[in-house]
Amino acid sequence: MNTIAIKLASSILALFLLTCTIGPSIAQTLSYADAIEQLAGACGADLRKYCKGVELGGGRLKACLDANQARMSPSCQQARMLVYASIARRAAAQRDIGDICSADIARMCGTSHADAHLVECLQGVSPAAMSPACNQAFTDTGWRTERAQQ
Amino acid sequence: MIRHQIYAVSALILTVALTVAAADTRLSSGQITSSLAAVSENPRLDLTAAQMRQAVLDNIRDYPGQIPPHLLSFPQLASLAQLTVEINFDFNSASIRPESYRDVGAIADALHNPLLLGYGFLVIGHTDSVGGRAYNVGLSQRRAEAIVAALVDPFAVNPGVLQPVGMGEEQLQDPKHPTSGVNRRVQLINVGKKFCFGRSGEQFVCQ
Repeated sequence: MNTIAIKLASSILALFLLTCTIGPSIAQTLSYADAIEQLAGACGADLRKYCKGVELGGGRLKACLDANQARMSPSCQQARMLVYASIARRAAAQRDIGDICSADIARMCGTSHADAHLVECLQGVSPAAMSPACNQAFTDTGWRTERAQQ
Repeated sequence: MIRHQIYAVSALILTVALTVAAADTRLSSGQITSSLAAVSENPRLDLTAAQMRQAVLDNIRDYPGQIPPHLLSFPQLASLAQLTVEINFDFNSASIRPESYRDVGAIADALHNPLLLGYGFLVIGHTDSVGGRAYNVGLSQRRAEAIVAALVDPFAVNPGVLQPVGMGEEQLQDPKHPTSGVNRRVQLINVGKKFCFGRSGEQFVCQ
């Protein structure tokens, strides 16, 4: 009984700590590099034990993590959820921003194309002037802070 | 057996070198983006991935030997924006090692950068000279495909802009040291605009 309580308490603590460390970044989604590095870091030992030689691509690594999640360390389980959620959110925002922001783009930008010009335009618009959905999607793409390099 | 031992030692050295390098010079998606965007208007490339694969096989047939006596070159690619990355794989396998996950993620970040959206890329795998030349062509092809697979899922890069090609050991980076780790590498080459975007962001083949 006590052991379960301690385990529960430590899981909650671990969850809390992870929310503190990863949580704020999730609000603006992680870069793919940071996301997968966090996963490799938190799950390193578990990956060596349960997913050795499994390919990163084609959904194979995620499938292995999912299949073995009950055996993984709590920090790996947490990282798995947060990291894949962040990747999915960023990917969806990058895919859908043209649709989500179409009214904003029509109103504020000379271009309506989901390319460098669109991002340059949105970077010049104050968040308050955007529709909330467009503002959130733009944050999720990770492009708000992307330097215009050309 | 001896080869395995040599590999183990060189892998160890490589790992140490990478750890040291990782402390101050981590591959950043910004650097990758700059390298790949360097040529903004590439001329239309008159060379297909299939032709490159055939040229690799022809080079092995025309210039036989344990180590390629003649290195393959594609002058059409020389002027294109490109970048070389060392990605570590398990020995004799197309499985990317976890210490290289971050670099694959950084490549994905760059390919999602608005500056590179819609451009097409060759993803060229190279091996060192350990193992037969024909075998290495297959191994590097599988490795290039594994990188493409990872860029597509989990990192959501459009598969339509990526073309994997296995070069084997036909373009050694350091021919004087054909088994050196610098030969094991992945090359990304921007081959020009593949897709344009419509009013709501939908992609279509530009023309």
